[in-house]
Amino acid sequence: MSKSTRKLSLVKRQKLTGWIFLIPATILIVATSFYPMFRAFLLSFKTGIGANMKWVGFYNYARMIKDTVFIQSLKNTFFYLIIQVPIMLILALILASMLNDRNLKFKGIFRTAIFLPCATSLVSYAIIFRSLFAVDGFVNTVLIKLGILSTGYNFLGHPTSAKIIIIIALIWRWTGYNMVFYLAGLQNIEYSLYEAAKIDGASPFQSFWRITVPLLRPIILLTAIMSTNGTLQLFDESVNLTNGGPANATITMSHYIYNMSFKYVPNFGYAAAMSYIIFLCVAILAFIQMKVGDKRYEG
Amino acid sequence: MKKRIFAFFMVTTLILALTACGAKDNTTDNASKNTTSDTKNTSNDTKSSDQVDQTSGDNTLTVWCWDPAFNIYAMEQAAEIYKKDHPDFVLNVIETPWADVQTKLTTAAASGDLSTLPDILLMQDNAFQKNAISYPDAFVDISNSGIEFSKFSSAKVAYSVVDGKNYGVPFDNGTVIACYRTDILEEAGYTLDDFTDITWSQYIEMGKDILSKTGKPLFSCTAGESDVIMMMLQSAGASLFDAEGNPYMVDNPVLVQVMETYAELVSSGVMIEVNDWDQYVGSITNSTVAGTINGCWIMASIQTAEDQSGKWGITNTPALDGIAGATNYSNNGGSSWAITSNCKNVPLAVDFLANTFAGSVEFYETILPSSGALATYLPAADSDVYGQPQEFFGGEAVYSMITDFAGKTPSNNTGVYYYEARDAVATAIANVVAGADINAELQNAQDTVNFAMGR
Repeated sequence: MSKSTRKLSLVKRQKLTGWIFLIPATILIVATSFYPMFRAFLLSFKTGIGANMKWVGFYNYARMIKDTVFIQSLKNTFFYLIIQVPIMLILALILASMLNDRNLKFKGIFRTAIFLPCATSLVSYAIIFRSLFAVDGFVNTVLIKLGILSTGYNFLGHPTSAKIIIIIALIWRWTGYNMVFYLAGLQNIEYSLYEAAKIDGASPFQSFWRITVPLLRPIILLTAIMSTNGTLQLFDESVNLTNGGPANATITMSHYIYNMSFKYVPNFGYAAAMSYIIFLCVAILAFIQMKVGDKRYEG
Repeated sequence: MKKRIFAFFMVTTLILALTACGAKDNTTDNASKNTTSDTKNTSNDTKSSDQVDQTSGDNTLTVWCWDPAFNIYAMEQAAEIYKKDHPDFVLNVIETPWADVQTKLTTAAASGDLSTLPDILLMQDNAFQKNAISYPDAFVDISNSGIEFSKFSSAKVAYSVVDGKNYGVPFDNGTVIACYRTDILEEAGYTLDDFTDITWSQYIEMGKDILSKTGKPLFSCTAGESDVIMMMLQSAGASLFDAEGNPYMVDNPVLVQVMETYAELVSSGVMIEVNDWDQYVGSITNSTVAGTINGCWIMASIQTAEDQSGKWGITNTPALDGIAGATNYSNNGGSSWAITSNCKNVPLAVDFLANTFAGSVEFYETILPSSGALATYLPAADSDVYGQPQEFFGGEAVYSMITDFAGKTPSNNTGVYYYEARDAVATAIANVVAGADINAELQNAQDTVNFAMGR
């Protein structure tokens, strides 16, 4: 009898130790993340100017459907997501497998060079891109000198080119970041697999497609979810590179939420409701990606 | 061994770099945030902005404003003058860009904790109605405080009046001036007189000629902003809202005329659009354009190009064609001082403002020459200082000229939803320049504003 209680208490004690280690982090997360999220959820059912709020139920959510600027920002964000994330991830994969080649010289320099953009601040890189693509900026000067253009093209002044500039900026900033994940993942792939494939006569493309991609699937899934999340919350580029223009052609959801809270007549209820839409989008997309990407439990 | 030495060096450089950064941050923060007057008891703490309530003791006032060459300078001069009669008065100016003032104000007022606010803050006139109506508890009603509002121009005071109560002491104004490079005009065979009291169609006509002769556009502006639109609108006394505060864009004849004029300015090449403020100022100081039209505060930026001294001339803005009530005068920007509810010593704040910004001609005489801070305090306009010739602007007495413009400027109606309307119109104009139909775009803009107003 006494023996069994002791055994239980040992298990209990171990569990207790685990909980004690978990509690500080849990309290911090609950207090600084979950509690504000809960309050924001309540806030999203209220409306009013500034501090004068009243309950309105689902009014804010219904209102969003009719908000043309919000719909525009939603479209823009998904445009970035659909174009930019696949290009970036494929590019990162290619770069990672190239840099994983054992015969490549100066690997360290290449790796650092490709990763370096991630070390720059979001605001400063956005401002640098803005000046690069200004009417009298570096890119236009080069194009004029090469005789491709006769006068400077206002890249940020046209809807399509402005969107493309944002996508280029995002790819420049984040490709290296994702590449590092792939490089780490590649270290777990036995190099002899590639050698065996080579002996069997596989082309580099085949070994990339048949060995690298399947074995990296969990990491590709991780980067896809992280990139989706990051793109849906895109803010700095929209604010600093294009300021949402021209004519809201590049405004993102987060930028619009910011305007709604701080630039316009403050309507925090509506802003909170829009934040929850982003949250829902991220959750749904992550869920779909997990279902599609994670093959662990298949028979 | 080699590796160890290498690692040691890496660590030391890292530590050095980190500590160096930290130290640098501290000094720049102190320098930029605590621009204080001589006798200060400001804590050197970089977080002084968060501890405003503690520093605002009996004789201390904390102020938020943003431009070292302009409103901060004015505030410090005001403190000097006030100190002559109140030797123990202490002013603590914290440099806070307008965007940050707005964000901090919104955060403080929305959370209901006003203790982070200063005693006095400078507010853009365009945002005054929005903030005072959204957060009525955040500002002190100074209607019956003894400040003589009748000594300011009434159009200016109106920005800071909500429900008949005064919440602000007017400071600078943004009377619109048209600045031209007289040397470039001469090159094309024009003089400043050719551009005085003209209409936009004449402006475009001459602008095309100057462009073909000198290769320089007359004017640059920031794409995606609606400053130019708003200036043109106000010059005819029009607004984006009607008297009841409803959006008035569709079938607003003045607005349609403004949009057409703007589109023609761009398509003719007389006006170029740039992407941000820096490029805008750059286009002026680098002689990319032959002039600009903006609030008179732009003079401070123009004067940074010292090599262009004497080559600039100032006159009034073109008027709209064929609009009843169109004038050559308008306004863009300007700001007012507001006392927040966090002020522990409201009588002191009121007395300070009443004896300087709202009561001292001497004060305005001090600040004008170096800052160009044009008073909306009417008694100051008669001062001799305003009549002195300015060498940079062709030796003309530009300040008395601008004061004269200010008196002729039609007033406008900002309303609470001013920023929404501005952005909606900026969107519309960007589409119109790209070839869209004006009426359809105005309908969209009006729908957007109506939507924002919850209609």
